Amino acid sequence: MPLADALSFLPSLATAAAEPAEEAAALRRLAEWSGLYSPWTAPDGTDGVRIEITGSAHLWGGEAALAADLVTRLDRQCIAGRIAIADTLGAAWAIARFAEAGESAVILPPGEVRAALGPLPVEALRLDPTTAQGLRRVGLKRVGDLYAMPRDALARRFGETVAERLDQALDNLPEPLSPLGEAPTRRVRLSFAEPIADPADLMLAAERLTADLVRRLAREGTGARRLDLTFYRVDGRVERIRLGTARPSRDPRHLVALFKERLDTVDPDLGIEDMILAAFVVEPLPAEQLGLPHPNPPPRAGEGRVGAGKETSGVSPLIDRLGNKLGLAAVYRLEPRESHIPERALVRVPVAGPHPSPPPCSRGREGPAKRGGGGSDKPSRPIRLFEPPEPVEAFWLLPDDPPFRFIWRRRRHQVTSADGPERIADEWWQPEGSGAVDEIRDYYRVEDEEGRRFWLFRAGFHGWDRPPRWFVHGVFS
Amino acid sequence: MTGGALRSGASVRLLPTHGAKAVEMMMKARVDNISKSEQKRNMPEATAFLPELRERVRRIERPTATARGVLPFGLAGIDRALPDGGLAQGALHEILGAGGDEEDGALAAAFAAGILGRLTVSGDGMVLWCLPRPDLYGPGLAAHGLDPGRVVLVSTPRDTEILWAMEEGLRAPGIVAVVGEVGTLTATASRRLQLAAERSGITAFLLRRWRDGGQAARERALPNAAVTRWRITTMHSIPLRSEPGVGRLRWRVELLRCRSGEPACWEMEVPDATDHVSLAAALADRPAAPLSSEKFRRTG
Repeated sequence: MPLADALSFLPSLATAAAEPAEEAAALRRLAEWSGLYSPWTAPDGTDGVRIEITGSAHLWGGEAALAADLVTRLDRQCIAGRIAIADTLGAAWAIARFAEAGESAVILPPGEVRAALGPLPVEALRLDPTTAQGLRRVGLKRVGDLYAMPRDALARRFGETVAERLDQALDNLPEPLSPLGEAPTRRVRLSFAEPIADPADLMLAAERLTADLVRRLAREGTGARRLDLTFYRVDGRVERIRLGTARPSRDPRHLVALFKERLDTVDPDLGIEDMILAAFVVEPLPAEQLGLPHPNPPPRAGEGRVGAGKETSGVSPLIDRLGNKLGLAAVYRLEPRESHIPERALVRVPVAGPHPSPPPCSRGREGPAKRGGGGSDKPSRPIRLFEPPEPVEAFWLLPDDPPFRFIWRRRRHQVTSADGPERIADEWWQPEGSGAVDEIRDYYRVEDEEGRRFWLFRAGFHGWDRPPRWFVHGVFS
Repeated sequence: MTGGALRSGASVRLLPTHGAKAVEMMMKARVDNISKSEQKRNMPEATAFLPELRERVRRIERPTATARGVLPFGLAGIDRALPDGGLAQGALHEILGAGGDEEDGALAAAFAAGILGRLTVSGDGMVLWCLPRPDLYGPGLAAHGLDPGRVVLVSTPRDTEILWAMEEGLRAPGIVAVVGEVGTLTATASRRLQLAAERSGITAFLLRRWRDGGQAARERALPNAAVTRWRITTMHSIPLRSEPGVGRLRWRVELLRCRSGEPACWEMEVPDATDHVSLAAALADRPAAPLSSEKFRRTG
């Protein structure tokens, strides 16, 4: 019915513009908040939230208690809703939307899906309107009418969806829920009788949760690599502190210190009623005396992850602090690789990331002087490398010459002397077009009139269909 | 401390933040007072303990400069200019580039890499290197004697975060040196870094890297708390006897400012992985002109 018609019937009708984006965001927040009940939650369409409570209902004292708790909390947030708990997602979806109005929470006992769905309209199978209309047109109005239909006939007439939805609702076909976030491997929860908002209280709660989690990790001989501390606010919003550690850790003091640093980013607003600490990535960490400096830490399973183990192990608290503020990807190491392509001869390895044991770095002290030209066995490399190489406008005389002048960053550089070329082509064992080098490069080390030294290269040849282009790839000292 | 040993009853408290001059003036003032109030009875005695006083003041001031030991360059020329014959450890050092290099910071990085290579050669411990753009190239570091495997890099575009990361690094165990490539630096920030370095004994290097000429002009002359300030300027390479092309690389290294030392200037051959730093060979046997007339050396 158009709005104008509706208003003519009922002039006092209150209207509001639909804001799909905001509604979706609100629904997402609600789904996030539902993480309180289970780690597997996701928004469902435009008007629902799915929660997978298998294995977590008993923590609330059974499904009925969980549903009652959910109803109370939704009430407090002024959200009118209907809750259905059933064996399958499809059945719960159907009952929440199409069961006769009555109580706000319907719990379907196991094994009664078939009977409960029978009298519901076919729309309850999550079908698009045209399909549902088609079913109605041939007289299939109730879900129960479909039970007896041969599947292949249904599929031929109405497409695969109908049979598939029916099977999903009746638990003949698995339907996994893809959760909003990644599902944690370990989770501890703390609920408060009264909402708390004082930072000191929050810190205390964080300490208790950490102690709980650490106890579990110690029992299993593991350490956490990624942690989430989630705060559930009274108003249904969710605040979160996300942490990563460079090596598996279960040192409560270290973890609490990391949380403490970030606690001011949490806005408790009117209060926090629940906190959940979840570990997402855990790795083996055998029992050891924590907190004592090891002059020579014994080799252990997690050793390979931290680069040259011994060296970074001492600095891992620092790396955690830096990484948690600036992003773990911002903290990295340089690792040499066997490659003659300059940008591949070095990879940036996040210190915190998984890390195969690196080859010992032998570039440090090898060979005689590489610079100065005379008797160099290896071409020299710049100290700064631009990625991507910066294009320059160059002027040269002969096709194989370095430029005698180039313009880079709007400044003119007169070349006074040059070394080269050093020819670098793509690695032939890489598939065509996959490499960083799409054309053959001729590198020159040039010195300008100020004495600054650049690493220039020419991409392409003379006589090719494309004129050669020049780039500055790095600066020498 | 109290000056009880100097005169009974004359107690002097030295504030650690005062430089030598302030303290000396305080002492002098007190000596004047004493001499006036006691009608010059103690005049000879008062002047006699002045040298002793100076020595004490020097000892009090020393901890801030070279208490954590020094790292000699191994070059008599440079070491002579530095107090106690080397670069103070557990202190903040500032390194500037010059000309167009103020933007790229290649020279400052290379000079720092040479020092860090010597600093890390004994013992273990990592170098924390905070930079605004991830453009530091490992093989280039290795060519200056710093093993890239000993470096943990932090890349963040904002100066304030670089300074924060440096300060964190200066408090962390397992770190031997901290390098930060900073554009804008306040006096307070540099003071914080210097204090943190003093406290932990970790040596800190500020590489100044400016976005453009405007920022460079604003920042270049500002005072800060660094113990030394160096400027590295590139010079034309010395052509090799028989070969054309880029020859022996040289720098002009200027010590612009040095706490309890004298500014100085050297010409230096660019150090490499083997002999980390060497002064230009007195520039004595430099050929007057390149022997080869060809300008470019061909290697390929």
